[in-house]
This record gives sequence, structure tokens and C-alpha cells, in this order.
Amino acid sequence: MNKNALTRVGTLVGFVLILLWCLLPVAWIISLSFKSQEAVTNGSPGFFPQSGGGAGWQNYVDVLQDEQFRRAILNSIGISLTATILSVALATLTAYAVARLEFQGKKFVLTTALVIAMFPVVSLVGPLFDMWRTFGIYDTWIGLIIPYMSFTLPLAIWTLSAFFREIPWEMEQAAQVDGATSWQAFRKVIVPLAAPGVFTAAILTFFFAWNDFVFGISLTSTERARPIPAALSFFVGADPFNRPASLLAAGAVVATVPVILLVLFFQRKIVAGLTAGAVKG
Amino acid sequence: MSTSTVNRASDRSRGENRLALKLVAPAVALMLLVTAFPMLRALYLSFFSYSLTAPDEREFVGLDNYATALTDGLFWRDTGNTVFIMVVTVAVELVIGFAFAMVMHRLVFARGLVRTSILIPYGIITVVSGFAWQFAFSNTNGFVNSWLPFVSSDFNWFASYESSMVAIMVSEIWKTTPFMALLLLAGLAQVPEDMLEAAKVDGATWWQRLWKVILPNMRAAIMVAVLFRALDAYRIFDNIFVMTAGANNTESISFLTYRQVIEQFQLGIGSALSVLLFLSVLVVAFLIVKIFRVNLADARQEA
Amino acid sequence: MTGRRRRTAAVIASVALGSSLLAACGGSSGKPTLNWYINPDGQDTLNQLAERCSTDDYDIAIQLLPASATDQRTQLARRLAAGDSSTDLMSLDPVFVPEFANAKWLRPFEGEQADAVLDDDVLKGAAETVTWNDQIVAAPQWANTQVLWYRKSLARAAGLDMSKPVTWDQVIDAASQEGGTVGVQANKYEAYVVWINSLIQGAGGHILDPSTVEDGRDAKVTIDSQAGKEAAAVIQKLARSKAAQPDLTTSNEGTSLGQMFPQQGPGEFMTNWTFVYKNYEGLVGKPGGPADEEQLKDLGWARYPQTVEGEESRPPIGGIDIGVGAFSKHPDFAQEAAVCVTNAEAQRDLAVNEGLMPARQSVYDSAALKEAYPADLLALWADSIDTGGPRPKSAFYSQISSAIQSVWHSPRQVDPDTTPKKSADFLGAVLRGEALL
Repeated sequence: MNKNALTRVGTLVGFVLILLWCLLPVAWIISLSFKSQEAVTNGSPGFFPQSGGGAGWQNYVDVLQDEQFRRAILNSIGISLTATILSVALATLTAYAVARLEFQGKKFVLTTALVIAMFPVVSLVGPLFDMWRTFGIYDTWIGLIIPYMSFTLPLAIWTLSAFFREIPWEMEQAAQVDGATSWQAFRKVIVPLAAPGVFTAAILTFFFAWNDFVFGISLTSTERARPIPAALSFFVGADPFNRPASLLAAGAVVATVPVILLVLFFQRKIVAGLTAGAVKG
Repeated sequence: MSTSTVNRASDRSRGENRLALKLVAPAVALMLLVTAFPMLRALYLSFFSYSLTAPDEREFVGLDNYATALTDGLFWRDTGNTVFIMVVTVAVELVIGFAFAMVMHRLVFARGLVRTSILIPYGIITVVSGFAWQFAFSNTNGFVNSWLPFVSSDFNWFASYESSMVAIMVSEIWKTTPFMALLLLAGLAQVPEDMLEAAKVDGATWWQRLWKVILPNMRAAIMVAVLFRALDAYRIFDNIFVMTAGANNTESISFLTYRQVIEQFQLGIGSALSVLLFLSVLVVAFLIVKIFRVNLADARQEA
Repeated sequence: MTGRRRRTAAVIASVALGSSLLAACGGSSGKPTLNWYINPDGQDTLNQLAERCSTDDYDIAIQLLPASATDQRTQLARRLAAGDSSTDLMSLDPVFVPEFANAKWLRPFEGEQADAVLDDDVLKGAAETVTWNDQIVAAPQWANTQVLWYRKSLARAAGLDMSKPVTWDQVIDAASQEGGTVGVQANKYEAYVVWINSLIQGAGGHILDPSTVEDGRDAKVTIDSQAGKEAAAVIQKLARSKAAQPDLTTSNEGTSLGQMFPQQGPGEFMTNWTFVYKNYEGLVGKPGGPADEEQLKDLGWARYPQTVEGEESRPPIGGIDIGVGAFSKHPDFAQEAAVCVTNAEAQRDLAVNEGLMPARQSVYDSAALKEAYPADLLALWADSIDTGGPRPKSAFYSQISSAIQSVWHSPRQVDPDTTPKKSADFLGAVLRGEALL
């Protein structure tokens, strides 16, 4: 009895701690985004804006009016979406083969994905920079999309293989018995069944692409292709000597909104996708 | 009857093989193209003394760049830093992540809320996390100094090595613990309830149940989580770039490589460092797999 | 407060305008657009200049670079290393001109335009920064220098006679005695090297032997000298003094501004660039600025402190030179535009509006400047630029600077007995390509 109560209290305390852990820094960056730039320049310690040191929505107005920042959002969305779609499309084919078909080299495919997922991206930056300037795709969308595939593709293959193992393949066999070829069975029966998994893989892949920083700062130099994380790190305010902390915070919040929306809508699926690798259904 | 079945079976398996190769080829080719190809290029460049600001002076120097790097104190200091960050963050994340997983496992209410919340740090851009914590630790605009006892309000966290490293690791741990927690939560679900009940009936304490029943049954999940997170932590770059830019000797090996190549335009020695970084990741992965006896089949999700 | 806000809005608006023009004109057959990469100082006036210097033949579009000099260099160098043809004009910190010129990334000015860029009117300190291998590779736009800013009341209370040259020792003692502080730039970045360089030159020494500095990798390292030790002693003294600001090791040009007129305490001594005057003038009655006009009068200025008593100080020299990209599609237009944005009128506007001081003597003498600034301050600036101590003029400056930073940072660990020796060894190895940076 007593022990049970203790466990319940412990769980409750843990529950509160988890929420604090996850949300406090987010609340902080939101709070910071409402401090006025003057207050920040002169020093305004504390979690909340001091009286008279609040900026209202001004920082958000400034950030959203900033052409460089808007371009960065556009770049990030465009580049991340393209990389996601390409990776997921190719990974779907691969994962189908891995989960469904018996073939030589299956281990090789999975090991390759595993090794490449662990690849130190910084190692690629130097040679890519040198190659891209020769090919003339330095500071372009395509110049980022290609290297993004180095980490989005393994991730997508990874997640999708796990999902595809759960699919009731008997239905495909049923279709084949009805006279459909392997390819037709794949397209007509399996694709609709696999769609939720594909979608989840796409969200996770998008997160990774959205998060990239190393390629973003190394392979761009203007707003032509610079994605959000890089743009944030170079953020320049009216005062060249102080990092415009509150303006940056507003930018950070804006950059985080898409992530939070995705999390809110697809929480269940994302958790399933993330843990797919560790649990064998 | 038996021959025709065998023939049909081998026909089918040949067909399957062909189809599989067709399906797999584009992804594998692309993965190799975007990693192996640049890596070979790096290997080639690493034999030259080559600076982009003096491109005409490029010359072949053999293994000199490797000798310079490997005999340089900076390289080893930064490798040491990186390993330190990796060990500390993964250890802390493992403990906190396990605690979080236990709470989430037991939780009977608000499961959706907790899972949504825990995904937020995971989804937040590392650069944003770095900024959030940099400003939180700032003595002019942050709140950490006023919330922590025994810390003076004007204590500058970014003034010394130790406190800068604390700030960097806090940001890293904050962002990645949820990932660890979710992987461990999935592992917890694999622990058979009846074994736990049996242990309880046998009078095992909570501590005994944890070590004798829960952890051994979660072994695969823990090892995979450790492997992934350790290799991820070994590549740490974003937080350091944003929070200290390498000041107070807080550089990681990735940061050192980045600086040679992208800031100093020393493509020769920078490429040598890129190759060394890649090799060191392989070494770290190998050691983890060996020391913790991680089953690679688990990592490859083979049943 | 609103002034800054308006400024931000204006900058954002003009950047937006510039980019849409860029988008509209890029590659099409219409009027070409020249891209001018600027550093963030004086954005408002630079935007006006871009508009004013646009002609019927071309438009000038402003592109903003990051805030730190090192990042600015990196961004530009990456574009140029990639042979980028859309880098037409660029604002360059003078210390990076030799590197860019050496890599053949800058198109030299010739003939009439060379004469317009560099005539007798240009101050010697600024003129020296734009030549490389007997060619004029950039156009001086403005010149910068540091002076000692201080609260007159603080100096008076400490009994420090500011009419005579003061030393770093005296300044640090005076501040700590009265509970004030000394503001410097000692984060691990370019301006810390600025400070170190001036301290060393103030003691009669040099980081690199001036007669061999232009030899690139073969330059002779002379930082391990008595002068190097004197410089280290000043940094050590400040770092250990009560007068050090809490954020000393991460301080930059902006962090110590707020310490001049704090809500409590006597204020500070601060070495900082010329923009400081305009900054406080615009902050009267606002947070971080003087409470009223009366308190603004308490702001004093004096020549950069001496490293060694009796030896004339060598104030830092900075500023901006305008370079024309070697791969520009419209090099003639770009050079014409470079002349326009660096002419006397442009320099006057930058000085009056932004506190960025001219590189031309005639502009110092103009009525507009005399109206905008106290006469003794103008004289102090001109004199400081004339007798200042430039940083090493080397194609490897960026490596030199990084090497100095990595040994001399953090200021708390600087020791006259070991730091100069260590940095000499390291700098030598870096130049010879034997050490990692």
C-alpha cells in the first residue's frame, strides 16, 4: 500500500520533472524573445523581461520583415523538403527490398546505411567545398540537397525497413495468387499499407535536414541558399557589436514553429518511427 | 512435381534477387556517391600542401600532413575534449534518459502530453538549443546565475574551460536525452511483466529487480542507444560553434577540422584531418562494439 | 531607443529592396546590379550611398556580411575562392587586403581611377593599407582608431591628471582604487589582437619584424621581446585587478559600453573605437546612456594609454577599404562605384551620421565635421590615426591573428614570463606550416 503510494508520488514528480526539462528552455527562449533589444544590450538578467524592458511583438515584426531571414526560411523549407522527398522515395524502394525480398547483399545494404549514418559530416565539408566550386554548385540549393542525402537517406532506409517488417505481407501474396506480378502487388497493395510509415520516415528525415548546420554554413555564403540554422548563427542586428539576443530568440522561435506543429500533429507516429530501430516488433 | 517446384522456386528467387538489386541500387549508389567519393577526394588532397589563398603553391608532400597533425598537441587535446564530451554526455543521458523512460512507462495519465513534450527538444535545431543555453548561462541576460545557489550573479560561465564545457554539455544533454529516453522506453516495453511479477513474489527488492530483470532484458536497446548517441556526440560541432566558437580550449575534433578547411582554407592539412576524423569515428565505433559487446545484428534490426 | 528601432527598420527595408532588385535583375538583359558586400557598421548611410552611387548604367545592391571581422573574411574568401562573379564590391577590413590581393581576388585600380582612389589627401595610415606589390588594390573608405574614453569624475576622484599621457598601470590602478572598471576587448577574436598589437607597439616592439613582414611565411617573429613581456604584463595586471569587468574574457566593443554610465558605481575607463561618441550622444536619458546632457559632459577622451611610461602609445588602426572582385562581370562599373562610395562626400556622411571617421584629411577639416564633433576630439582622432600602430601587413594575417589569439586567450592566463615565448614558438611553427591552428 505504502509502497504503491510512494511509486505514484515518484511517478508524479518524474512527470513534472520531464515537463520542466522539456519545456523550460523553450519557455526561456520565448521569454527572451519578448525582451527589448535595448534591455538586452544593457544587460537584463532574469527569466522574464524586466518591467520596461519588454518589447511586445516588435522582435517578431523585425525578424519577419528581415529579407535575409525570410529567404533563409524559404531556403530551409525548399532544401529540406526536396532532400526529404528524394531520400524517402529511394529509401522506400530499398526498404521494401530489405524487408520483403530475399537477396544477396542485404547485409551489405544495411551495414552501409549504418556506417554512413555514423559518418562525421565535417569530414565531407572540405572536399565538397573544393568540388562544388569546380562544378559551380557552391551556394546553391542543389549544392546542399546532395550532401543532405548523406544523412537523410540512411535514416529513411533505417526507419522504413523497420516499418515494412510490420506490414502484413500475406495480402501481397493474396494479390499475387490473384495473378498480379511482384511489381503490381507492390504498387497496388503494399504502397497504401506502407504510406503511414513512409510519412513518418519523411517527418523524421525532415527534422534532420532542418537541423543541419555544418553543410549550411560551409557550402553557402549568401542568402541565396543559406538555411535557417546558418542564418541564425550569422544574425546581425542594428548594433554590430552585440549579438541581438532577443531578435535571435524571436528568429529561433519562428524556426521552431514548424517542428512543434509537426510534433503536435504526428506525435504518436514519430515516437513509433524513432524507436522502430531498437524494438523488433 | 518436386523438380518443377524447385525450378519454380529458384526462378522466383532469381527474380526476387534481380528485383531487389534494382530497388536497392539507386539508394546505395547515391549514398556512396555523397560519402565515399568526397572521402577519396579528401584522401587525395591530404597528400598535398594546398591552401586556397595561394592555389599556385600546391605541392605534393606525401604523409607530411599526417605527421604534422599526429605530432601536434592541439590534435590530441581536441580529441581528448571530444572523447570527454562523448563519455560524460552519454553517461548522463543514459541515467536521466532511463529515469525518464521509467516514469513514462509507469505513467497512466497524460501520456500524449509527455510524449509530445519530450519530442520538442529532439526536434529543436541544435543551433537554437545552443543559443538558448548560451543566453541562459549569460551573466548579463541569463537566468541560470540567479537560480543557482552559490553562484555569484556576475559569474561568467564562458570565461574558463570547466564552466564553458559545462554549458556546452548541458545544451547537448538537454537536446538529446529525449532520444535516449524514447529508445529506452521502447526497450522497457520488451521486459516481460510476468518475470517482474515472479521476481516480486520471490521477494526481490526494487534494486534487485532493476539489475537482475529489467536491465538484462533491455540490453539490446541500451547498447544500440549508446552506440548511436556516442557516435553522434563524437561529432559534436554545432553547440561549440554557437556557444564558445572554440574559446577556452573547448574545441572538438570536428571543430578543428572545420576551422582548417573552411576558415583557414588549408585544404591539404584540413583533408588530412578529415581522414583522421573519419578513421577515429571507426575506431570509436569499433571500441564501443567490442567493449560493450553490441550485437550489430540488433543495430541492423535483424530479427 | 526609437532611433535604433527606426534604424533597424530602415536597414531591413533597404536590404529587402536591394534583394528584390537583385532578384529582378539577376541575369536578365536589363540594367546590371552590382552587389556590394558590407560589414554591419553604418548600415543606414551605406544604404544611402548605394542608392546615391547607382547610375543609369547600374544599380548597387547591399548584401550584409556577419558581424565579426573573421566571419566577414571567411564569407568573402569562400565566394572568391569559388570564382564568384557576383561579388562586385566588398567592404574589407584593411588587415585582410594583403591576403585577398595576394590570392588575386582583387582587381587593381589603374589610371584615372587609381588617382581618384589614392591622392595626397588620403591619410598615410589609411593609404598604406590599400597597396600590395606596388598596385592599388582597394579604396580607403573610412579609418578607425581607438582612444581612451573615461568618466571625468572617476579620473578626478582617483587624482589622475588626464591632461598628460597616462599609462595602462595608472588607468588600472585609478579604476580599481575608486571601484570603477577598465573596459577592453579580450574575447577570443580579432579585436583582442588589436589590443595586444597596440600594447606591444606601445612598448617599441612588433609581432613580426616590420622589414620582413611582407615576406609571408618567411617573416621573422619578434613577439618574444621585452615589448612582448611589457604587453603581457599589462594584460595580466588587468586580468588580476578588481577593475577587470566580469566578462573580461568574452568582452567585445559592445559589452563594456554599458559600464560607462551604470546605475551604480563610478563608471569606467574604456579603450574603444570612434563610434563611442555618437553612441552615447544618441543614448542621453536612455538605458545604457548618460542620464542627461549634464552627465554626457562627464564623458572624457584622451590618447590611447601608454604601455611603458614615457614611450608614446601606438593607438590601433582600423577602418574599411572597398575592394572590387576580380571575377566581377562589370569590373569597370564596379570600380567607378568604388570611387563614388569612397569620395569625400561619402566619407563626410559616414563620419557625421555614423561616427566612422574619414580617411581623408580634407574631410576632417570640413565644416560638417567641425559642427558634429568637438574640435579636440577630431584632433585627437586624426593624430591617433597618423601615429597609430597598424597590425602586421601580411598575406597570412588571418593565420597570424589566430595563432596570437590561441596563445594569448584567455587573458586570465597571460604571463609575461611564458606567453610571449610560447606565442613566438607557435606563430613561427604556424607560418612554417608545422603546427595546426
